[in-house]
Amino acid sequence: MKIAVCVKQVPDSETRIKLDAPSTELDQSSFTRVLNPYDAYAVEEAIKIKEAGSDVEVVAITIGPETVTETIKKDCLAVGCDKAILINDPALADADESALATVLTAVLQKDSYDLILFGIKAIDDDSGQIGIMVAEKMGLPHVATITQLDLGDGTLTAHREIEGGKEVVTAPLPAVLTCQKGLNEPRLPSLPNIMKAGMKPIDKLTCADLGLETPAAKAKIKMYYPPAARGECKLVEAEDPADAARELARLLNEEAKVI
Amino acid sequence: MPNIAVFIEQRDGKFKKVAWQMLSEAKRITAASGGEVWAVCLGADPAAEAAKYGADKVFTATGDSFGIYNSELWGAALAQFCTAQKPDLLLIGSTAMGKDLGPKVAAKLDCACISDAVGLTYEGGWTVRRPIYAGKCYIDVEPVTDLAVVGIRPNAFVLEEAAGAGAVEAFTPDLSAIEPKAVVQSIEAGEGGRVELTEAEIVVSGGRGIKGPENYALIEKLADALGAAAGASRAVVDAGWVDYSHQVGQTGKTVGPNLYIACGISGAIQHLAGMSSSKCIVAINKDANAPIFKAADYGVVADLFDVVPALTEEVIKLKG
Ligand SMILES: Cc1cc2nc3c(=O)[nH]c(=O)nc-3n(C[C@H](O)[C@H](O)[C@H](O)COP(=O)(O)OP(=O)(O)OC[C@H]3O[C@@H](n4cnc5c(N)ncnc54)[C@H](O)[C@@H]3O)c2cc1C
Ligand SMILES: Nc1ncnc2c1ncn2[C@@H]1O[C@H](COP(=O)(O)O)[C@@H](O)[C@H]1O
Repeated sequence: MKIAVCVKQVPDSETRIKLDAPSTELDQSSFTRVLNPYDAYAVEEAIKIKEAGSDVEVVAITIGPETVTETIKKDCLAVGCDKAILINDPALADADESALATVLTAVLQKDSYDLILFGIKAIDDDSGQIGIMVAEKMGLPHVATITQLDLGDGTLTAHREIEGGKEVVTAPLPAVLTCQKGLNEPRLPSLPNIMKAGMKPIDKLTCADLGLETPAAKAKIKMYYPPAARGECKLVEAEDPADAARELARLLNEEAKVI
Repeated sequence: MPNIAVFIEQRDGKFKKVAWQMLSEAKRITAASGGEVWAVCLGADPAAEAAKYGADKVFTATGDSFGIYNSELWGAALAQFCTAQKPDLLLIGSTAMGKDLGPKVAAKLDCACISDAVGLTYEGGWTVRRPIYAGKCYIDVEPVTDLAVVGIRPNAFVLEEAAGAGAVEAFTPDLSAIEPKAVVQSIEAGEGGRVELTEAEIVVSGGRGIKGPENYALIEKLADALGAAAGASRAVVDAGWVDYSHQVGQTGKTVGPNLYIACGISGAIQHLAGMSSSKCIVAINKDANAPIFKAADYGVVADLFDVVPALTEEVIKLKG
């Protein structure tokens, strides 16, 4: 069995965005970059399947600059992925989700994978599109936002989170899944494994290597804005909590008009 | 003149409120720019409500394919609709179903797909405003394809009634070639009963300050009194006090209700990321220096075990 895990390096969730006024550019120089937290669930699930089966190979695939290599080593190879493919092509700097999905599809089609795992979304662009788009482009079934996965013989059953409950979905393999928190608890890499990860292969490719013209973006970012500023916080002062509660309820009702 | 198609989501014949919000916004846009608003529904007939919120035409497809949601069948039906009718935009609510359908339809039609938008403007071309980095920044995006599929965040647009002709047109997608591979076998209801987080107009969330799982009931009682959804910080979820489906934040749900009440939540950047677009934010925390007060409109520096039950009573009185 062969499993692909598509992963993205993203700015750490602590990242503060430096932007005081609308701008056509976003300064990303100070960002600390890590593995997208949702992709960690995808990596973990692949490794669990590998550990439970025999003859399972797990390949991590990422599109990004050379600097993603450290993240790939530490958070993919050191926790159990067998190899990685890095598509590094400066022409993809302005790629949108559709363009990235086209490139990933080309990479995935070079091999035959039984399962292709994604995170539900990248926490930088917050799009949640690429996994589903790749499934469609490859003509494969997908189950998005999964919180449980059981593999059968050539089939899978997954739980998919929906409002107020879950759907239980079956699909034949090969299939595409997008992974949500709750699916598993991602492990941390051990120091010896981080050292050993350096020996695992990382194939480096460009669009040209894939026989692909750089796909054009279908949507373009024109402007970045800081979030609207909030006024001062109005503190409700009262000795007695009951009085504070009454005053707060009054303010929410009469002033803010939200209850 | 732009024609805007709005996907009217239904499950079990119940329509999602975000559908009417999208119709309202589409109507405001076409009122200024010309063009029509089209409601598109699979598996149910929303004509009465759709006309109330300004739909000029209502396209419905019915039949066995549209019982339980199936991305392959529903995605193909919406794609066929767009190919036949050529709307400029297809708006789809950012719900579990909508997030599944949008990218599927866009990939089929090879067109722009923009997720979780909170603003739309038309000036000869479209500009879509959306948050990135979980709301730490907003962007304006311009689609460059003739059709764009745009996901719309629930509660981003104000509901407004407007007269629409609501002329009903049946459409019959040809799904005979599709044998769905991924199939929903069953739907299991969760704990249920309460309003869903991402759609709620009011959210009450509890953080580590609630001290233990038994006290989450305080949060739920206030939520019930307000007709609100109950949320939580990641600390509470990771401690196993409530299910992950309640988590608000960068790696949980993003919410933008009219009112967000944070109880015993410090206001870590990852939590703020998920709720800072709320219209009014209230913080109840005993530490006056907690960062949550910097994000809040109203604050009470006090013990939540005193204030939350008292507030619940006040709300019941107000509503009574
Ligand atoms: C990659 C990553 C992703 C993350 N994603 C999320 C996310 O999606 N959502 C999220 O919430 N967090 C997220 N976090 C965690 C985040 O950094 C914080 O750890 C978390 O939000 C803290 O939760 P808390 O505010 O409930 O707890 P604490 O920070 O411990 O705060 C508890 C607060 O309760 C107050 N308090 C205590 N007792 C009382 C009382 N009796 N009455 C009133 N107030 C009281 C205290 O003063 C304190 O301010 C993430 C972290 C990482 C690294
Ligand atoms: N540059 C990339 N390289 C490989 N996989 C990616 C990349 N960007 C996103 N993905 C995958 O697609 C998922 C959804 O991303 P997005 O649609 O951008 O929110 C992520 O969780 C990853 O699994």
